[in-house]
Amino acid sequence: MIDPSTADPQAESRREAALAALGDVWDPELGLDVVSLGLVYDVRAEDDRVEIDMTLTTPGCPVSEQLPSEAESAVRAALPGVEVTVNVVWDPPWTPERLSPLALERLGFRRR
Amino acid sequence: MPVPGESVPPPSVPLSFLAAAGLGLSLFGLAVWFAADRIVTSPAHPGALAAVHVGMLAFLTTAVLGAAHQFTPVVARRPLRSVTVARVTFVGMVATAWLLPSGFAHGPESLVAAGGVTGAVTVLLAAWNLSGPLSVRGRGVPLAGLRLSVTYLVATVAFGVVYAFDRQAAWFPLLPHRVLAHAHVGLLGWLGLTYVAVAEKLWPMFLLAHRPRAREGAWAVGLVGAGVPLLAAGLLFAAPAVAWPGGLAVGAGLVCHLVSLVQVVRHRRRPLELLHGFLFASAAFLVVAVAFGAAAALLPVDTPTRTRLVTAEVAALAAWLGLAVIGHAHKIVPFIAYKALRARGVTTGRSGRPLLFADLLHRPTARLTLAVAAAGYLLAVAGAAAASRDVLAVGGATVAAAGVLVTANLAIGPRRAVRAGGAATSS
Repeated sequence: MIDPSTADPQAESRREAALAALGDVWDPELGLDVVSLGLVYDVRAEDDRVEIDMTLTTPGCPVSEQLPSEAESAVRAALPGVEVTVNVVWDPPWTPERLSPLALERLGFRRR
Repeated sequence: MPVPGESVPPPSVPLSFLAAAGLGLSLFGLAVWFAADRIVTSPAHPGALAAVHVGMLAFLTTAVLGAAHQFTPVVARRPLRSVTVARVTFVGMVATAWLLPSGFAHGPESLVAAGGVTGAVTVLLAAWNLSGPLSVRGRGVPLAGLRLSVTYLVATVAFGVVYAFDRQAAWFPLLPHRVLAHAHVGLLGWLGLTYVAVAEKLWPMFLLAHRPRAREGAWAVGLVGAGVPLLAAGLLFAAPAVAWPGGLAVGAGLVCHLVSLVQVVRHRRRPLELLHGFLFASAAFLVVAVAFGAAAALLPVDTPTRTRLVTAEVAALAAWLGLAVIGHAHKIVPFIAYKALRARGVTTGRSGRPLLFADLLHRPTARLTLAVAAAGYLLAVAGAAAASRDVLAVGGATVAAAGVLVTANLAIGPRRAVRAGGAATSS
């Protein structure tokens, strides 16, 4: 879940910049970005720090080490001078219900 | 404590195994072509044994060991004990795959013994290295299955070494049922169980399949794992009362494996793709293998007919595993190459979009590979079943062509991506 509420306009701006950067990080197997896939659970911006909670489609996924690293690099590049932390979380586990409508369409996926 | 990001070995480790396995597939096909006459008339002839060992060692075991060196650390989240030992294992595997079949094919006999010893040392090194990640507690069915299958790999090699020295020392006659015990531990206990276990991780992942329950996979691993020692002991000592329960357990486990495939496909959240063509063709050969195995055990036929049925069963098992390996290689190799390319700064594909696994292979060639490999294995199994030297030989040549196709496709894809990435950067 991405919490949009924040009292600090700079923090909100950084949160949005981080999300935009994550939109350019693609899962190389599925060919979609990690935001559309519903892999980004939360983005928190506070002071000079941005913290991201993200998951993967399954533990032991082949890109389990690559994708969080790419996400961190992308956000660092978008927010120079800001401390960026990416936490890989498994609770709650990812399910296909988290896919965005765009991702559903691209994958030819059937909502259950 | 393993450091995140460091559990996977360098790409050159699994890729060297997988590249050698591609060559091994072609050599296997050629060996079957050359030895077709021996295989159909006398499956225990040294020429036939040489061809079979090229397939088992140069192709299947090399590929599966390479994949295991990549897969096990990822799933266990613990690295191999030693990357250097992994590289030594690769060299030992290549040496074994050359020494043993060469010794069988044209001697001298000491070459067979040398191959057996080299293979034993190599496998013990691999088992020690993999025992690092495999010793992690839990992590589900895939690691539980791999622990057993690596144990059966050691058992297979132990059989092989004893048999290799027995050829000179003549401790006991190498009767067909004893050779079959060795073959079934290798095909079902090592290669088959590895595939059955690893599939429980790979299939749901590739198909985004979230099954409400996944008990079939656990049953498959448990039954195959428990059945193989009984089947092998029963065959080894010509004791049907032991072999039968083992065979039934293995058969039931393989049925659970097929049910698991059906369940994953039913609960998939992605369209079927090329990999699944390989999986379905592979599964069809498994059904054929079980049918031939059951026929050989149950039908009141003469010895030559039973020999033909068993040869066809072994060929169908090799087809099951071979198509599964080729299919998964189309997923695994692009993934490993992707990591290596990203590390070199190649981040975009030919279309200018971010680099994807799909950019690292040529899909029409991959589809052609499926057609050629399936046809080759079909001809090989049919040739073995009908004792037709010509059909088997054509099957072998076709399998060799499939080896060239898959190796070229997966080797050229990343190079094209490097060129495209360079062009995108310069533009």
